[in-house]
Amino acid sequence: MTSIAIARKSIGRRTWRFASLAAVATIVIIAVVAGLTTPAFLTVGNGLVIIRAASMTGIVAIGMSYVTLSGNLFALSASALGALLAVIFALVTAQTDLPAGIAVVLVGAVLAGVLQGVAVNLTGNPIIATLAFGAVFRGLASVLSGNGVLRIHNTAAAWIGTARPLGVPTQSWTFVFLAAVSWLVIRKARLGRQIILSGANREAAVASGLRVNIVTCLALVMLSVGVAIVAIFTVAQFSEARSNLFSGYDFDYIAAVLVGGIALRGGQGTPLQAALGAVLIALLENFMLLNNVSGGLLMTVVGTVVVGAISVFHLLQGKNR
Amino acid sequence: MLQMRNVAKRYGATVALENVNLDVKAGEVMALLGENGAGKSTLVKILAGLEQPDSGAIAIGGKPHNIGSPAQARAAGISYVAQELSIVGTLSVAENVFLGDQTVGLLRSPSSLARRAKPFLARIGLGDIDPSLPAEAFSVAERQLMEIARLLSREARIAILDEPTAALSEVEIDRVKTAVRTLAEEGCAIIYVTHRLGEVFELSHRVTIIRNGHSFAPVATSSLQVDGLIEMMLGRRLEQMFPPRAPSVGDKLLVVEDCLCQGLSSPVSFILRKGEMLGLAGQVGSGATAILKVLAGLTPLYRGSITLDGRPFTPRVIRDSIKMGVAYCSDDRKRDGVFAVRNLVENLSAPVIDQVSRFGLMNRRAETTHTQAVAQQFNIDINGLGRLAGNLSGGNQQKVALGKWIGISPSLLIVEEPTRGVDVGARAEIYRHLRAQTARGLAILFASSDTHEVLGLADTIGTFFQGEMVQIGSADAMTAEIITRDVTHPAVAA
Repeated sequence: MTSIAIARKSIGRRTWRFASLAAVATIVIIAVVAGLTTPAFLTVGNGLVIIRAASMTGIVAIGMSYVTLSGNLFALSASALGALLAVIFALVTAQTDLPAGIAVVLVGAVLAGVLQGVAVNLTGNPIIATLAFGAVFRGLASVLSGNGVLRIHNTAAAWIGTARPLGVPTQSWTFVFLAAVSWLVIRKARLGRQIILSGANREAAVASGLRVNIVTCLALVMLSVGVAIVAIFTVAQFSEARSNLFSGYDFDYIAAVLVGGIALRGGQGTPLQAALGAVLIALLENFMLLNNVSGGLLMTVVGTVVVGAISVFHLLQGKNR
Repeated sequence: MLQMRNVAKRYGATVALENVNLDVKAGEVMALLGENGAGKSTLVKILAGLEQPDSGAIAIGGKPHNIGSPAQARAAGISYVAQELSIVGTLSVAENVFLGDQTVGLLRSPSSLARRAKPFLARIGLGDIDPSLPAEAFSVAERQLMEIARLLSREARIAILDEPTAALSEVEIDRVKTAVRTLAEEGCAIIYVTHRLGEVFELSHRVTIIRNGHSFAPVATSSLQVDGLIEMMLGRRLEQMFPPRAPSVGDKLLVVEDCLCQGLSSPVSFILRKGEMLGLAGQVGSGATAILKVLAGLTPLYRGSITLDGRPFTPRVIRDSIKMGVAYCSDDRKRDGVFAVRNLVENLSAPVIDQVSRFGLMNRRAETTHTQAVAQQFNIDINGLGRLAGNLSGGNQQKVALGKWIGISPSLLIVEEPTRGVDVGARAEIYRHLRAQTARGLAILFASSDTHEVLGLADTIGTFFQGEMVQIGSADAMTAEIITRDVTHPAVAA
């Protein structure tokens, strides 16, 4: 009897569908309210600002969602890795050319993902392991940049950072493309299934013969590649890199994953939800900025939204027990 | 003293108790019997305040009582010795005896606490131990006895003992029996949950049987026979519970020679043939599961040799075993048997992801075909494969945990406790499915603490006690009495 009693009722599939719907509904509500109350909100220019802001957070959040889905909570090193990769990209691109810069950054990202994956597997604690790696990355970024501003003068890079094919920024095209690919990875690819199963029940995944350690490494590699893309875009857009880039952004990435309703314990949800979460937060922040809400208050509100979202999801889980 | 009326309790889709009545008089030992999964533990937890019933009434001493928490249960005079040990290893023996006792202040000195604990410990045969030592210094059996001492210290009106002797040796069991008798003579109402039928006849005045969430009217123990009792528990004749044994078995598949590993105190040897079911009987900690864990690649082999189909077999991780066609199903499906939050298709295909994918992409059609084939073999509703595993009953979850391994077409299936927490109907079904697999040549090695399960299911039986294999032989030569004797106190028999 005991084991049946303990076999806690899982969260219904409906809950997770609800999570995505809730995110979409909230996005619509914010857009309508903002559109009606704030004239500057519903302009093409502002729309592009929102999309670009959502894209930069969203691309990392999509990567982060693999880490969460694989049952490894979060990587707290994403912003620091972004700064390091941005510095490396600026250095290599300035010394050689753009393709070399991109190649080196991608290789560096894969390396950073694997190293972190190994550390997470060894310590069994993703939070502590990535926190430490965050310090390493930020420190290296500072050393490599000599604590100064690295400038690049590269027209191809500038195009990548500022072009708007069909009126939409390159960052946003990339965001939409990656969101679609990430959904396919989770739903159709073998790796996606392995990530989901590892996160749903790590012990059962090991017992079923899955290589959970490798899955963890790959999830962190995908996050790192997402971080690399954002680093490249950012340096390309502003033609400069600094070691304090993306400082404090880790919360935004995690918030997007949480507001999107991805199960904190892993194994339930899709990266698409993280993408929606990023859009939601970008909308909210933009709406408040246009209404001259102070930075402090803005932070408070976003934090409150995250607390509210995870509480609601938690309550829904409890109800199904 | 205690009356329960029409008590019901469900966990999601699983009905644990449907309609249970229980009457216990003061000074009486009421044996509570039922198979694994019948609802005994749930009933006991409700009385202990650990679970709340969905409906039904509880009266103590004629007055209705609401037992909303363990504290309320204690206030109502109910004391509970759990199946799982609740001794805090880092606290002293005396502190454990008085754990949770509101009348013992924090400021009481260790020596006075020890003095107060002494008589309670003495009554359970622990009079010679130092109550100020930490509890972790003592054996599992002694810690179990400390729990009984705690029960004595509470001067309960109603005492619940949930399988108090599962981990004890014969001498210690006698101490428990004496304590229980004394308690009853003092006027305490005792609910005694056990799997050991011998204890039922020795100790209890009346028996209440629970089957599939329903209780039967209490019966005086003196009017019962062993066979009749078993049939009342099962709800059917024993022989209908289990499929017929294998008419013949094939070639040698697994040869285990002089193997020593964690959990064994002396080496074991046995041979398992194709199509044969070998059952290892033993209590928790007896070593019955030790060699299973080696074969699964979970623990290392200290010495000895294992060959599978004539080739040396030394798995270092679970993957090695799986690759060699050896499947392992642990005794804890919640921990590592099922993905509760994922659907049945994903659960059933988990061990064969590589087979149902190509170029890194899942092949949905191959996956569906595969999982449907597996589901049909284990009688899992193929129209319900989209359901989450966690929403299934224990029996259906166990079918998933076992059935998924059929997908890798193993030559050897290793199972710990094949039917833990599975209701009677599903148990018979699981036995039938396992037997159907051996008829196709699969060899099954299982360990179980359930004597009747081993006796009914296996072709060959090995018995374990304290890290040693007592004997191994054909099931035809075994009886429930021999197995029970072997796994509890073989020395007495010899």
